[in-house]
Amino acid sequence: MPRLNTFKVTIETGDRGTSGPVQFSFNNHTLPFANVQGGTKAGETFEGDFEVNSFPHSLTLVGPEQGEWQLNKITVDYNCENLPPYSVTFDALALDATNQVNIWQDPPLPSFEV
Amino acid sequence: MSFVKKLKNILSGSSLVDDETGSPENKATATEVQVMAVSKKATPASNDTPEEKTSQWEPEPPKERTVIQPKVIAGVSLPQDGDKILIKAQPSLNNDQCVFFVNRPLMKGYSWYFANFEAAAESPLAEALFSLDDLETILVMENTLTVTRKDKTVVDWKPLAEEVGAAVRRVVEEGSPLIADKILNDLPSEDSIREGIQKVIDTEVNPGVAGHGGSITLLSVKGNSVTIHMGGGCQGCSAADLTLKQGIHTSFRNAVPQVGAILDETDHSAGVNPYFS
Repeated sequence: MPRLNTFKVTIETGDRGTSGPVQFSFNNHTLPFANVQGGTKAGETFEGDFEVNSFPHSLTLVGPEQGEWQLNKITVDYNCENLPPYSVTFDALALDATNQVNIWQDPPLPSFEV
Repeated sequence: MSFVKKLKNILSGSSLVDDETGSPENKATATEVQVMAVSKKATPASNDTPEEKTSQWEPEPPKERTVIQPKVIAGVSLPQDGDKILIKAQPSLNNDQCVFFVNRPLMKGYSWYFANFEAAAESPLAEALFSLDDLETILVMENTLTVTRKDKTVVDWKPLAEEVGAAVRRVVEEGSPLIADKILNDLPSEDSIREGIQKVIDTEVNPGVAGHGGSITLLSVKGNSVTIHMGGGCQGCSAADLTLKQGIHTSFRNAVPQVGAILDETDHSAGVNPYFS
């Protein structure tokens, strides 16, 4: 597992938005994002990042305390120590007070053109 | 009055009002505490000591949330609309297989597993690949190919990957169908595949892995690709990959020969009781 320096999320909200703050959980510590831009109402795009500088045993996006939040797409840009930056895009899903979504993905395996 | 002090008063039956600050506000607070005591009582035994009852009033831990494992929709990306055929090779971590990503569709909506050269008959893509030395099996799915090699001792995929890339490029450029018509025409329905796979899970796979406290669940069937979850002792087990590729794959393909890709969506890092850690 690499050491995660910073990560940035870009969340496209679907038909059902949320008004609550967007929070993530890093190794079971729930925190708000830094450098927040955009919004989480229906059709809006939210951006936020965080300087972690630690090893991600778990990294999740926490569901809102009230209502359901429909997410069309989540893109996460990871910046890990001694690795080139990489991005992962996750498919549509819905979050609420009972759940959270894993947004940590190990770095991709090396690939080469043939 | 502190919460603990109020609680002791409730449990001992003494006045709820703090003598020092017996304001209506404080009375209301004490009443709320009493209401909580009624609504949250955890069947106290009549001979409980106050200390034992107090321990029932510790703050509740944060509510457990279910962790959703989302589907990744963009891993290795290649431009889809370029004129040039682009192919990327990605050997697995233990070098037992190599995935090839092509910026052209190879088999839309379905997948197919070619176990040997005989199975490749009339499928130009598979015939071209099996003509290469050392290639053992091929799995075609959407715009990817997953191949295994006969010589498991070789860890450098580059020479064979370049041969595979050249063969794929040549066949795709020809523009003829890549997969035999007889394969595409005889694909069973999703319901038929689901029924067959569920049966083999119930009668063969789960009784086998149950000895290690494991269980396999069929999550979905899409086209002829199946997605499973490995639970219990299989989740996070260091032998899960072996169980999947040598046990489950074989059982599934014997029971339902038309099954294509067998995908494992288990978050093995979240396994809490792996058989082999």
